[in-house]
Amino acid sequence: MMAANENEVLLVEDDPNDAELIVRAFKKGKLTMSLVHLRDGAEAMDYVNIRRARERASLPKVIMLDLKLPKLNGLEVLRKLKSDVLTRDIPVVILTSSQEESDIAQAYSLGVNSYILKPIESDEFSKTVVDMGSYWLRLNRTRRRHEGDL
Amino acid sequence: MTSREALAAYEMIQLQERLDLLRREHLGALRALERIRLERGELRQVNMATMNILEDLEEEKRRSLDAQSALLNMLEDIEEERREGERTKAVLEAVNRELEAFSYTVSHDLRAPLRAISGFSRAIAEDCADSLNDEGKRYLELIQENVNRMGALIDGLLAFSRLGRQRMNTSDVDMGAMFDEVFQEIMAQEPERDVKLIRNPMPLLNGDAVMLRQVAVNLLSNAVKFTRGRERAVIEVGYAADVEGGAYYVRDNGAGFDMKYADKLFGVFERLHPSEDYEGSGVGLALVERIVVRHGGRVWATSVPGEGSTFFFTALGGRST
Repeated sequence: MMAANENEVLLVEDDPNDAELIVRAFKKGKLTMSLVHLRDGAEAMDYVNIRRARERASLPKVIMLDLKLPKLNGLEVLRKLKSDVLTRDIPVVILTSSQEESDIAQAYSLGVNSYILKPIESDEFSKTVVDMGSYWLRLNRTRRRHEGDL
Repeated sequence: MTSREALAAYEMIQLQERLDLLRREHLGALRALERIRLERGELRQVNMATMNILEDLEEEKRRSLDAQSALLNMLEDIEEERREGERTKAVLEAVNRELEAFSYTVSHDLRAPLRAISGFSRAIAEDCADSLNDEGKRYLELIQENVNRMGALIDGLLAFSRLGRQRMNTSDVDMGAMFDEVFQEIMAQEPERDVKLIRNPMPLLNGDAVMLRQVAVNLLSNAVKFTRGRERAVIEVGYAADVEGGAYYVRDNGAGFDMKYADKLFGVFERLHPSEDYEGSGVGLALVERIVVRHGGRVWATSVPGEGSTFFFTALGGRST
């Protein structure tokens, strides 16, 4: 069941610098993947909903989500994704500068798969991004629901 | 005696008796009159006493009314003060919340441009390595170093602002064991250093273990840092029962500081040594003070420059807020 978007990473990030550094890190890390970059939470939900309506297999393989986002913030997007039976199995990685206990606790209670603090130091930052990408794209096996499962 | 005479005598006796009776009766009346006179006098006295009492009562009543209105005024004042206090408290709480939100936002929003500076200067170093001379490469290294320093400052600020909001979980903490543990951890980071730890006995401390650990980390890492120039670095931890009703202390034979600047020691971002000599964000001791104050205690230090310093802290036990 190799789908078209088996390698798709959806990056929801409003900071253009962070986005560019993430893209650069993935390129340097030589990960085979397609990266879709969106800048706010509402855009991200529209994108997911269109894919969801069209074909399940075209949903992204993993979603990387910033917390501070325009319109819908990261936690709101996470809540929507995890409360929909068709999207709740997509791994969601929160990538943020917030070390707040309350943010971390809320993200986990909403079902986040991973919560990662953006390192300031650039080597650490690119290593973190690449490690995360290869973990969720290559190493981790995710359950994918099919029509019959519902 | 003739019968006439006998009758007269009889009547005489009768008269006598009646006279006696009358006299007795009269006497009763006289006595009664006398009694009435006396009683009237008493009554007058009683009356006067009653008047006096009534006057006293009236006076008392006036006084108690005065006292009552004074009390009411006092209660009003107290109520006013309470309202004033509540207003002040609400203002203070709002200011505090604002400050915390401010430093939270600042800390977060300062991180993003730093990541960009770090990331893109690294990108230049990697992508344009061929067109950079050694000086250019060194400048990029300096940018990186400064980014890291700024990062440490932001982390310190964040930790400092978070502390104010953190709830305290109190338990009896074995400070001696904690000092031991923290010391081992610090030394594991600096394998080339040879520092001796003398651990004297000390009592348990009722407080928040996570926060108290931060105190141990900051005081011990300072002691390790400032004994760097010593051939035989010695750090001593213990408890001085005779100091301010009992104080924990961390003593070192390091660089020390000039007591003239002792009051600056615990200020945020204050430093008594140039950062080139001793690195650090300048937040560590400010954090220590904030934690100790939350534990109802005080922290201070004594030092002789060139001979070492001793940091003392007391704690009345954690307030479970």
